[in-house]
Amino acid sequence: MEQVVGPKSSGGKAYDQSFAREVYQKVDSGEEIKMCMQCGVCAGSCPLKEKMDYSPRKIFTLIRAGQREKVLSSQAIMLCTSCYSCKVRCPRKVPVVDVMHGLAHYALRQGYKPREETALFGQKFWDNIYRLGRIDEKDVAQRYFLGHGLGPGIKLMLENMNMGLGMMRKKRMKLLPERPIKNVKSLRKMLDKAKALGKGGAV
Amino acid sequence: MDKKLGVYICTGCGIGESLDIEALKKVATKEFKAPVCKTHPWLCGSEGVEMVKADMTNEGVNTLSIVACSPRVKFDVLDFSPALQDRVNVREQVAWVLPAGDEDTQMMAEDQLRMGLVKLNKSTPPEPYLAENMSKTVLVVGGGFSGMNAAIGAAQAGYPVILVEKEAQLGGFMKTMNKRVRPPYKELADVDLEGQIKKVEAEPNIKVFTAAQIEKISGGPGVFDVTLSQNGSSVTERAGSVVLATGWKPYDAGKLEHLGYGKFTNVITNIQMEEMARQGKITRPSDGKEVKNVLFIQCAGSRDENHLPYCSSVCCLVSLKQATYVKDQDPEAAVYVLYKDIRTPHQSEDFYRKVQRDGGIFIRGEMTAISEDGNKNLVVEADDALLNEKIRLEDLDLVVLAVGLVPTALDEMALNLDYRQGPGLPLTKYGFPDSNFICFPYETQRTGIYAAGCVRSPMETALCAEDATGAALKAVQCVESTAIGASTFPRSGDMTYPEFQMQRCTQCKRCTEECPFGAINEDEKANPLPNPTRCRRCGTCMGACPERIISFKNYSVDMIGSMIKGIEVPDADDEKPRVIALICENDAYPALDMAGINRIPIDPFYRFIPVRCLGSINLVWIADALAKGIDGVILLGCRKGDDYQCHFIKGSELANTRMEKISETLGRLALEPDRVRVEEISINDYDKLPVILKDFMDRIKELEPNPYKGF
Ligand code: SF4
Ligand code: SF4
Ligand code: SF4
Ligand code: SF4
Repeated sequence: MEQVVGPKSSGGKAYDQSFAREVYQKVDSGEEIKMCMQCGVCAGSCPLKEKMDYSPRKIFTLIRAGQREKVLSSQAIMLCTSCYSCKVRCPRKVPVVDVMHGLAHYALRQGYKPREETALFGQKFWDNIYRLGRIDEKDVAQRYFLGHGLGPGIKLMLENMNMGLGMMRKKRMKLLPERPIKNVKSLRKMLDKAKALGKGGAV
Repeated sequence: MDKKLGVYICTGCGIGESLDIEALKKVATKEFKAPVCKTHPWLCGSEGVEMVKADMTNEGVNTLSIVACSPRVKFDVLDFSPALQDRVNVREQVAWVLPAGDEDTQMMAEDQLRMGLVKLNKSTPPEPYLAENMSKTVLVVGGGFSGMNAAIGAAQAGYPVILVEKEAQLGGFMKTMNKRVRPPYKELADVDLEGQIKKVEAEPNIKVFTAAQIEKISGGPGVFDVTLSQNGSSVTERAGSVVLATGWKPYDAGKLEHLGYGKFTNVITNIQMEEMARQGKITRPSDGKEVKNVLFIQCAGSRDENHLPYCSSVCCLVSLKQATYVKDQDPEAAVYVLYKDIRTPHQSEDFYRKVQRDGGIFIRGEMTAISEDGNKNLVVEADDALLNEKIRLEDLDLVVLAVGLVPTALDEMALNLDYRQGPGLPLTKYGFPDSNFICFPYETQRTGIYAAGCVRSPMETALCAEDATGAALKAVQCVESTAIGASTFPRSGDMTYPEFQMQRCTQCKRCTEECPFGAINEDEKANPLPNPTRCRRCGTCMGACPERIISFKNYSVDMIGSMIKGIEVPDADDEKPRVIALICENDAYPALDMAGINRIPIDPFYRFIPVRCLGSINLVWIADALAKGIDGVILLGCRKGDDYQCHFIKGSELANTRMEKISETLGRLALEPDRVRVEEISINDYDKLPVILKDFMDRIKELEPNPYKGF
């Protein structure tokens, strides 16, 4: 016979440790979140928190609670811009940025695409590096815009034209195409190797 | 003693520029006939100090009025003991806060000087009270971890110690402990009780009484007579001071049924958990199987208005320790901690990190329901504060309630004090025997009796050790002060004590009842029987006595009354009101000094009179002041009530009660009750103080001038 103290609802999510264990083992820097004490400094520091569905702290709490779906399909893990505000402030020295990227990679590998645009932009950025060994801003932007399809691509280009012109005026972007770096072939070899080891890749 | 007065006016620090020094000198030489009156541009320099000393040797000056800065500064440099001396504060209270060269500024300085000189006139050099057969032995009550540490501390400082333990063995709660978490808080540590006991036993200064009770403690600091009973016989020992270290008891889990205790076999307390760990294995009480899923529920009864309103301070660390027991037994076991906040005093945060690294899961939230299935597995439901949703923890083998601690002082009569005021120590609002924990930890409300360890405040073992040493040092300080007739904290070193003119006593018992420290007993005929070594020299008795027969050598009803009489009150048409501020030396006076140091202007119509405690204020001063034409009286003292800051516990409270009665007097004089006000000030309120003073002065200026002026 079941006995109860308090208003039992049998609702609510059950805690489940399997996802936390998965993260600790398989996600880059995943084990570091063990040290999170849920103080919220990272969430308070993050310039993108308005745009995130879950703050970094909440992501970590969800992991411990075993809510796999919510975490891996979260937009937040792909919104991190590597500003490092959280990482330098975390009193528990959790490398929040690394964990967020680790989670994003892991989510993509598991077939989740939390943010199409971020994934697309990451891919084009990566391709650019792979091809030139450096970034050609206008090339990445063009390819990213066109990645949305020809019509929307042109529209996006027009929308962003003023920014492009501004960057040129400030010499932040060149008119002529960038040339590949010296010996780009050996860089590619390194990147291939990293990929084979399951590191790096586009996000 | 024939007094020969010397008045020394410093003209440095802006005083010379602010005041007409010649006129000030005239107050001393003409009004008070001071045979010696000198000025110096830098009195606290070696030349100035030498000048005064030379007069003492060559001229026989033995009564000094130092007209300079606040008595709270340069007290070491401008100390001319054993001469009778007083400081007139014309720097912080005059030169730095009032416009230089102004008529009102000058009047203020002159009145301050007048009051200082009256004070000296009415003072005589203190003669210390020395009791007979004083002892320097420290009595330690309670042979647990704190008590043993206190005993070792006092013994190593060279004082004889009597250590009394009610059980047959030393050790107290530590006997039941499995492991400790101690600095540097990285790993579990052994308890090592034996080591501690050996240290006590090896110390020749310590006399241990186990299986012993205290039947009675009478007397006071220096002369406590302690009656001990052991194995049916009793002995009496004399001690100089007492350290109470009777520890704590766990909060009664029987009251925690709402957390499942007593309903479900697998819900236990942290005390039971410790016992299980000490026996060797942590299992489910229901079937003895090893545990796989364990949940700790923090603040079980603590920080809860219906149970213990305070944080028990140690239970977080205890759960962290016990989580480690579980993980050490089975690294795969899941350990959950449901908490409000994890509190890790001092460096113990490191141990929290360790438990996290080992995989402990911390959930911030509150339990809402607990249930048990047919296999005695527990399910706990909670509101997760961070996820902001309901969660469930299933298949729990064990739920450990982190119960808090209750001081033994609450219901144990360990001391059996033979005081008129009762056998126990008075307790503050949470049941701890504190006196004023902010300013003087360890002090209880009985002089010479100090509390250490968990009986004083919840604390973990490392802190208990520190606390015990602190209390032992206080106990040592007490026996040393008492031996020379000086007061303990906060008037450390004060050699005066209250003297009673017994012929005029009406046996009204006010002094016995109102003394916050139980220093006054009474004889069969209800005559007050002061115990001067118990006295802290607050003067509350002096303020209480309707017959005004209690006084100190340098503080009396007559003295302050005469100081008030010495103030010059201008005529009503001068439009210069006079307001007296009776200002407590402990917090309000330093706050006023701070305002002065920050050069915050104050009203020149105030006259400041420092008092030992608002409790020492006798109503007659106020009645006399108003009858003389003073326009208002403000009392500035410490906070009263449950969270009192009063350095003598009840002084400001009593002053408030007495002031309620003053309206009667005011009515008789046909004066407005607004003319008297009591304000609470803490030491860091220096910016608020000028505002309070201005506000009161504004109100006084709204009223008609006191009609008694000039009569
Ligand atoms: S700042 Fe660090 S410890 Fe605090 S919530 Fe973020 S990750 Fe956790
Ligand atoms: S120490 Fe922790 S568990 Fe104990 S009362 Fe304080 S916060 Fe609650
Ligand atoms: S009231 Fe104060 S001054 Fe008077 S006996 Fe008690 S402690 Fe001493
Ligand atoms: S208050 Fe004064 S009159 Fe009353 S018992 Fe004490 S000493 Fe006597």
